[in-house]
Amino acid sequence: MSGSEQTIRGWAVDPAAGREGAAKIALRDGVLERLTWLSGADADGISASGTLILPGLIDLHAHFREPGNEDAETIATGLAAAAHGGFTTVALMPNTTPPIDEPSVVARIRAAAAASGSPVRTLIYGTVSAGRKGETLSAMGELADAGVVGFSDDGASVRSGTLLRNALMYAGSLGLPVIDHPEDHALTEGAEAHEGLIASVLGLKGWPSAAEAGSIARSIAILEDVVRDVPGARLHLTHVSTTEGLHAVFTGQGKGLPVTADVTPHHLSLTDEWIAGARRWSWDAPRGEDAELIDPWVSGAIVAPPFDPSLRVNPPLRTADDAAACWVHLGMESAIAIATDHAPHTEVDKHVEFGWAINGISGIETALSTVLAGVTAGQLPLMKAVAALTTGPASVLGDRAGIMPGLREGEPADLVVVDAGATWTVTAAALRSKGKNTPLLGRELPGVVRLVLAGGRVAFAEG
Amino acid sequence: MSTGSDRPEGATPAPVHWAHRHLLDVDALTRPEIELVMRTADEMHDVLARPIPKVPALRGLGVTILFYEASTRTRVSFEVAAKNLSADVVNIAAASSSVSKGESLVDTVRTIEALGADMIVMRHSVSGAPYLAAEIFGGSVLNGGDGWHAHPSQALLDLYTLRSRLPGGSLEGRKVVILGDVLHSRVARSNVWSLTAMGADLWICGPTTLLRGYEAWAAKGAAGRRFTVTSDVDAALKDADVVMALRIQKERMASGMLPSLREYAARYGLTQERLRAAKPEAIVMHPGPMNEGVEIAADVAVDPRSVITEQVANGVAVRMALLYLLAGTRRTEAGA
Repeated sequence: MSGSEQTIRGWAVDPAAGREGAAKIALRDGVLERLTWLSGADADGISASGTLILPGLIDLHAHFREPGNEDAETIATGLAAAAHGGFTTVALMPNTTPPIDEPSVVARIRAAAAASGSPVRTLIYGTVSAGRKGETLSAMGELADAGVVGFSDDGASVRSGTLLRNALMYAGSLGLPVIDHPEDHALTEGAEAHEGLIASVLGLKGWPSAAEAGSIARSIAILEDVVRDVPGARLHLTHVSTTEGLHAVFTGQGKGLPVTADVTPHHLSLTDEWIAGARRWSWDAPRGEDAELIDPWVSGAIVAPPFDPSLRVNPPLRTADDAAACWVHLGMESAIAIATDHAPHTEVDKHVEFGWAINGISGIETALSTVLAGVTAGQLPLMKAVAALTTGPASVLGDRAGIMPGLREGEPADLVVVDAGATWTVTAAALRSKGKNTPLLGRELPGVVRLVLAGGRVAFAEG
Repeated sequence: MSTGSDRPEGATPAPVHWAHRHLLDVDALTRPEIELVMRTADEMHDVLARPIPKVPALRGLGVTILFYEASTRTRVSFEVAAKNLSADVVNIAAASSSVSKGESLVDTVRTIEALGADMIVMRHSVSGAPYLAAEIFGGSVLNGGDGWHAHPSQALLDLYTLRSRLPGGSLEGRKVVILGDVLHSRVARSNVWSLTAMGADLWICGPTTLLRGYEAWAAKGAAGRRFTVTSDVDAALKDADVVMALRIQKERMASGMLPSLREYAARYGLTQERLRAAKPEAIVMHPGPMNEGVEIAADVAVDPRSVITEQVANGVAVRMALLYLLAGTRRTEAGA
């Protein structure tokens, strides 16, 4: 943006200031020089269904596969995909090969991010356990010195209660959160799809909701024990997907415990009936006890062949009731963030038999669009949705990460301009990610990202 | 095509054109389509009664039998059926493992197509695998059993067998009991679709650990399927017209779903004593392979009411009918 000046009119949403409305921003040399809220005739033609001006989005949960699986994604392609999706900050999960369990791997990722030239801010998590084996603690203190923003063994839950307890205490003393992937693996061995009608009819091994809720209840019980001694301990539960799991989080928060949670765009928008061949949004799927209505086989909802392996994900796609619970808990802020769990994979790992397909959806480029689709359908107010993609994740990362999303005058612009009234079609060519593994391929989505500025620099510009 | 030669039995169903390029499950079949399969199988049954049971219907067509899972009866049944129709048959026994990752299914199917196959009959241990093959393959895919999901040719031969045995050839209102490990059974799942489509009063029975999911299915009634689920074997067998026992595998003990085979045999095994609750002329079925003395008593298996060997014999006629009908869609497409 050097030497340039630009004015953009649109519907600005700034959760940090608690304000949204018609506005005009003036940019000069990458700095957000002025933000003018408009009213009366000046605001004519501006609405929340047209051009939106949002703070740069923050993704708490992404897999960029480097080092080790650069055929699936690299730091450079991941950052390009993030920018295309409107994200100016990404936090990368440490299940790389080798895993991020000591500082040299952190340095390697920082170097790759710098070499990519992307202005998207790259944050890094370290593992909870050495080698991500779930046995002994990783080099937590050294990793903290190297600048990691939290610890996670994502992909698996920290199975040992003792290790989780020690991790919460040690990370707490460093001022960093432990991000746990809640799953009782004894209940999910070999599981393929959410345990319920769809899995039963399709003959897929059920993945019970109790595996998530039980794991969360255990982790919260351990947290409750730990915070008495270590007040700085914090637990964040990622990709919570069930009514029961969200309720367990809500209950823990009701006790005043430092526990937070995020939900994913795919659990908000898709359901297990997609595996049977339905292709309607979760909010368009009937809910509740009316047997005739919720049955996709009678309601004419089946429009595609069953068993599309791009739908295989951990945790699995749940029911329309679970998706509705995800939206409700975002509204109550018991789920404070939307995190993509962007999981790019190669054809060779993904275009195989459903039960053998590797888990994961490439989702960082479709996240904002699917959330906007839900907002348009009345699932959540726009302000809350934007907060879940900006201030919410910033609060999970905490003061030590020091991310302050907002439309603040006089600072380098960190924002996304998206046309909520326009649509785009998800195609392999349209995706910047190497991972084309999304069930939304071929679908037309609302919300076209026009411009992304990260730290005052252009991260993405249409055209 | 058989639509021109309907047999004069009862109400003649409207002539149906077979429109399915693949047969992956029976859920997609309408009642008239199922009846078309039955009538075609009748004709194949007549062919099998000839001194030389062979017709040139599939001459010049390549049928590849691709089995990723060990099987004797289904594989041989398909092979005999295809040869009776004069198809060129290739048998492939493929290694089945997600770990070995030697050759992907996608690559295997492309190779088979390049080698000139017109149809693939496929058996796979993973639910849904034939749908992936159907997505890739230019010809027809016939599902020979996938994971816990579906076994359409078995369900149709079960139906064919019942149709030939039940008075009037109708399942309407007949009480049919599927007894045993329905959770892991592709036979049970396909039979739910076909038996309910034909109007049977279907009962699913077994220990609660092996019924999981069927309660929800029965309660929500996917595609309007109505059936009854119970762990009470006496209630299930009472006045039954048909009892189909399913195999119990030893793995179920290892995974903690059953205490022991002994206890299963005592509580759920199909014995002469239990069978007394059913109608005197009740038909006894088993898709095989059987564990005699576990899910079915040896004397029940060979009882005059048992149609177990008939099921095997009918399997060839029904599979010939399916291959013939699928080949017909190929010819139609080629001619269009």
